[in-house]
Amino acid sequence: METVLGVRGARHHYGATQALDGVDLDVGAGECVALLGPNGAGKTTLVNQVIGLLPAQAGSVRVCGGDPRVASTRRRLGVVHQSLGFPTTLKVSELVVGAAVRAGRPRAAAGPVMAELDLTELAGRRAAKLSGGQKQRLQLAMALVADPALLVLDEPTAGLDVPARRRFWRILAERRERGAAVLLTTHLIEESSAVADRVVVLDRGRVLAEGTPAELVARLPDRTVIARTALGLERLQALPGVVSLRADGEHVRLGTRAPEALLRVLLAEDSGLSDLRVEGAGLEEAVAGLIERGAA
Amino acid sequence: MTVHSSGKVFGVELADELRGVVREPAALFFSIIMPVGFFALFVSLFGKFSAGGVSAGTTMIATFGAFGVISVVLMNPGIGVASDRERGWLRAKQVSAVPIGVTLAAKVVAALPYAAGVLVAMTATAAVTGSLTAPLPALLRLLVVLVLGSLPFALLSLAIGFQVGAGAAAAVLNAILIPASVLSGLWMPLEIMPAFFADVARFLPTYHLSELARAQLTGGPVVVHVLVLLGFALVAALLAAVSYRHARS
Repeated sequence: METVLGVRGARHHYGATQALDGVDLDVGAGECVALLGPNGAGKTTLVNQVIGLLPAQAGSVRVCGGDPRVASTRRRLGVVHQSLGFPTTLKVSELVVGAAVRAGRPRAAAGPVMAELDLTELAGRRAAKLSGGQKQRLQLAMALVADPALLVLDEPTAGLDVPARRRFWRILAERRERGAAVLLTTHLIEESSAVADRVVVLDRGRVLAEGTPAELVARLPDRTVIARTALGLERLQALPGVVSLRADGEHVRLGTRAPEALLRVLLAEDSGLSDLRVEGAGLEEAVAGLIERGAA
Repeated sequence: MTVHSSGKVFGVELADELRGVVREPAALFFSIIMPVGFFALFVSLFGKFSAGGVSAGTTMIATFGAFGVISVVLMNPGIGVASDRERGWLRAKQVSAVPIGVTLAAKVVAALPYAAGVLVAMTATAAVTGSLTAPLPALLRLLVVLVLGSLPFALLSLAIGFQVGAGAAAAVLNAILIPASVLSGLWMPLEIMPAFFADVARFLPTYHLSELARAQLTGGPVVVHVLVLLGFALVAALLAAVSYRHARS
C-alpha cells in the first residue's frame, strides 16, 4: 500500500510541556486511521503538524513525500475543521468554486461535489447562515473538491444527525475506494471503531497502542460490568480484576477480564447494587484501559 | 504554482475580498464618508484661500486625501484579518494550497479601489466648490503617490490584526490613526498649530506621506519623504512578518 502520510519521530514541546514525544505514524492510500486519546494527549499538535500549521521540532512529517508546510504539498490535503466560521459575505457556491481554484482544479469540479453533498439547492445561500450540519457538509465539499490524497478530519460529524453521519461516511468510503487516505480525530470512539481500519491511541505525546479496533479490544477487558452502585470510584478502582473504570451518568462501567469474580465482590460489598448487566467490552473500554495502564 | 494559476488564485482571493466589501459596506461607508465629509466642510470654509499659487482646497486634497486613504488602508485589512482569525477562517486559509502572502495581498489590494474612491470624491468636491486649481497630471500623480504610499500602513494594520480581536483592532487602529492625523497636520495645517506639533510630525510617516502628496502639487522636495516612507515600509513589513509568526490562534 502506497504511504500517503508518514510521520517519523515527531516531537514538539510548548515550553516545558512535551506535547509530542517521538510519534511514528503511517497512513496508506485508501486507509482510514483514527487518532484517539484524552485531552492533552497530543492529537491536536500532531494534526497541526500534518496539515502544515506547525513544524516538527524534531523528526519528520511527509504528505505524499512532501513537506506539508509547503503550499504545493498542501494541494494534496483536504481538511475538515472541528468548527469553522465562514465569512459572513460569501455564498456556498463561491466557497466551493474558490476551493477548487485554490487547489488547481477547474471551476466546473465544484458542481458534482456540491450535488454529491446535497448543496446544490443551497448554492446561493450565505455560508454563515447555514445550519451546523450544512456547514459540515460545506466543509467536506471544500475538502473533496480538491480531490485530496489525504483527508484530515477533526471531529467531522459533530453536529450531524444520524442519517447525515451515515451519508458522510458513505461518501468518504467512496473516496477511500478511489485511494484517498483519511486521518480522523474524534471523541466518538464507537464511530471510529465502525469506520477506521486502524486506531492509534495517543497519551502524553506518545503512541500508546496501535492496531485494528478488534485487536485493541482483544488486548484489554473483554467484558464491561455496568451497574448503579453506592461504592465510591476509589473503592471500585481497587476491586479485583478492574482494568478500566468510567462513570456514565448514574451508572459505572467497569472493564474486566474476570467478570464473575468482580460480580461476587460487588454483590458482597454493595447490597443496594442495581441495574446490573454485563456486556462485551467495546473499543471505548479498551482505549480507557490502555490509557489507564499507560498512566500507571 | 505557475504564474497563470497564481493569477487565477489571486483573482479568487481578491474577488472574495471585494464581495466582502460590496455586500457589507458599512465599515467602508464610514471610512469614506467621514473623511470626505470633513473635507467638504473645510473646503467650503477655506478652500478658496491661496498660498504659493495653489488654492487651499487643492492642497487639502493632499492632506485630507492622505487621511482618507490611510484610514481605508489602515482600518480594513487589520480588522478583516482579525475577524478571519477569530472565526478560524485564517487557519483554514493557512492550510490551503494558497501561500498566505497571496491571501493577505488580496486583502490589501481590495482596499485600494476604495482609497482611490475617497480621493476622487474629494477632488470632485473641490471642483464643485470652485477651489480646484491643480492640473490633471498633478492630481493623477497625487493619487498614485497616496495609494502606493499608503501600502506600508496596510502592513502595520495586518501586524495589529494578527494579535488582537476585530473589536480591539478597530480601537487600536483608530488610536493610531486619529492622533497621528492630527499631529501630522492632516486635518488642520501645522502652521496654525503649536510648534510642538511640527516637531513631532517629522517623525510620523503620516506627515511624510501627506508632504509627498503635497509636493506633487507644489513641486516641493520629495527625497526625504520617500526615504522615510521606505524605512517605514521596511519596519511595517518586519512587524507584520513577526506578528504573523506569533499570531494568536
